[in-house]
Amino acid sequence: MKPFDPGLVHAPVTPFKRDQSVDYPTYAKIIEFHLRNGAEALALPMPEGEDMSLRDGELRELFEFAIKQVKGRVPVLAHVSDAGTSLAVNRAVHAEKTGAAAIISHPPYFWHPRPAMVVEHIARIGAAVKVPFYVCSPPVESAGTELTSDMVMQLIERVPNLVGVVDASLDFVFMEEVISGGRRLRPGFQLLAGRDYLVSAAALGGNGAIVPLAGIAPKALRRVYDLCRQQKFTEARGMQEDIAHLHHLVREAGISGLKDGLAGIKCAMALMGRECGMPRPPVRPIGEVERGRFEEAVQALPFLKAEPRGW
Amino acid sequence: MLMPIKLKGVMQAPVSPMRDDFSFDGEGFAKMVDFHVRHGAPAIAWPHHKAESLNLTIAERKLGAEIAVKTVAKRVPVSIFVGTLSEEDSLDLARHAQKVGADAILTISPYCRRPAQEEIFDSIVRIGTTVELPVLTYNSPWRNGEGVEFTGELTRRLIERLPNYVGMKDASFHSQKYLEISRVALNMRPGFAIIMGVEHLLASYPLGACGSFSSSGAIAPNLCNKFFAALEAHDWETARECQFKISELWRLFKEQYPSSLKGAMIMMGRPVGPTRSPLPTAGKERLEFLRKRLEELDILQTEPHGW
Repeated sequence: MKPFDPGLVHAPVTPFKRDQSVDYPTYAKIIEFHLRNGAEALALPMPEGEDMSLRDGELRELFEFAIKQVKGRVPVLAHVSDAGTSLAVNRAVHAEKTGAAAIISHPPYFWHPRPAMVVEHIARIGAAVKVPFYVCSPPVESAGTELTSDMVMQLIERVPNLVGVVDASLDFVFMEEVISGGRRLRPGFQLLAGRDYLVSAAALGGNGAIVPLAGIAPKALRRVYDLCRQQKFTEARGMQEDIAHLHHLVREAGISGLKDGLAGIKCAMALMGRECGMPRPPVRPIGEVERGRFEEAVQALPFLKAEPRGW
Repeated sequence: MLMPIKLKGVMQAPVSPMRDDFSFDGEGFAKMVDFHVRHGAPAIAWPHHKAESLNLTIAERKLGAEIAVKTVAKRVPVSIFVGTLSEEDSLDLARHAQKVGADAILTISPYCRRPAQEEIFDSIVRIGTTVELPVLTYNSPWRNGEGVEFTGELTRRLIERLPNYVGMKDASFHSQKYLEISRVALNMRPGFAIIMGVEHLLASYPLGACGSFSSSGAIAPNLCNKFFAALEAHDWETARECQFKISELWRLFKEQYPSSLKGAMIMMGRPVGPTRSPLPTAGKERLEFLRKRLEELDILQTEPHGW
């Protein structure tokens, strides 16, 4: 059997209506946009899909909706992270039953347990499902404990269906250790680049990528991804710098202490003609004045001229 | 008149040899510097943390700078690190480096104060306008916003302000932080040298890094040179092998850096003596462990022994 290899994975945002309910008609449009624009798989809801702001029931419903909408055209990876182990385990089981091609999970939200307990938490989630399992670094340091390469090695020993790491740490040392050490323990062990930084991970021998900015700039990400697949890393530099520039603008927009970019992504999506509403509270949308400045800065990025407008 | 300086490849940062009574061994240091140049170092940079910089007196740092410049004798460029706890010392060391004929200085705003971006800017401008030498800065962000971090915006302002600002030693080892600096600096000042603090080069070379200040070169200069040649040839397969091996070496040495490294150097026939307190000196058990690992990694068998 061919090992599971998700390739270029798009991470859609989650749209909300003014009454804070999930806007499913728009979510359907978002999913279709990604499938038409180069997604080889979808991962949802990633941190940029505001997983932390969704309730347990909503997360299940959202995943069921996505599976129905995609209808098997591409694999759908379910991101299941929570503060409590049993909460995450139960939702992972639900996602698998619903049709998830793989489960992604990171160290628990909020708590800072000792490394052994973090390993235990993740191992239990992985053991609860049979589909391929990925462990993910938490999106920001303050959202939970750091995922270390030692933890990854212990998890490989304990969890037979652990096929790889989704790297959101962007840390060169972590990537080197996980790829070289991981493959010694489990040949073919994968590293998927997270957060739109593809070149370094690919040069080190990483596999695919999960790209949250694909809703804004799918063509540029596809180009960098293809160049990386062809081992043309130096050629990918210019486009990766462009994407890093967009990433910078998105992260710096809004007043989030985490610089999570949630307000920026949705604002840039709207600017590209794909209105997805506002982020859920307590995340504030970008204020009027800043919005103007942000839009000017984004529109001044020459590479975005080649990107699709509207749905 | 600003002399152009070419920085490229795995540049060596020698350790500071000590005698048994912990005094600075100037003769040993000259041998150390010469060893690196003879084994292909494209530049010499001293005294980095690996050289116990902050445990040396200012007089010892000046003496070492003179020995380094004299020993290298223009065969390759010499950069002198002038970072200290007190900015007055840094200014003094910078002037001294220029006087004795160094080719560049590497500097950072004093650590341990969590300086604001404005404070770092002022500090680098003061040091950078004190000398006419090319200036490199040292980006050293720690977790949770501590350390001394050069953001892309700070780098942009410094390039605008200082015509002699030619490069960054980057120890962020982080895709996002790296690209914040590189996309700004490389486009504003073509040829700006981004030098990795440790040879995490496979992740950064494709994005425009020109080389590294070496951590493992004291033990494995051949591996370092092979690694950089593979990168330049775009031979990614060989580069990966080298990177992963160097990454393992770094894991061995980063604990209580540079004690283990100095211990391993003695094992390779280069007696560089103990490490100054509060850092420990590698004991017998640690040395035995290192010997075993270096043998497994094929380092003992393939790298130069003696001076």
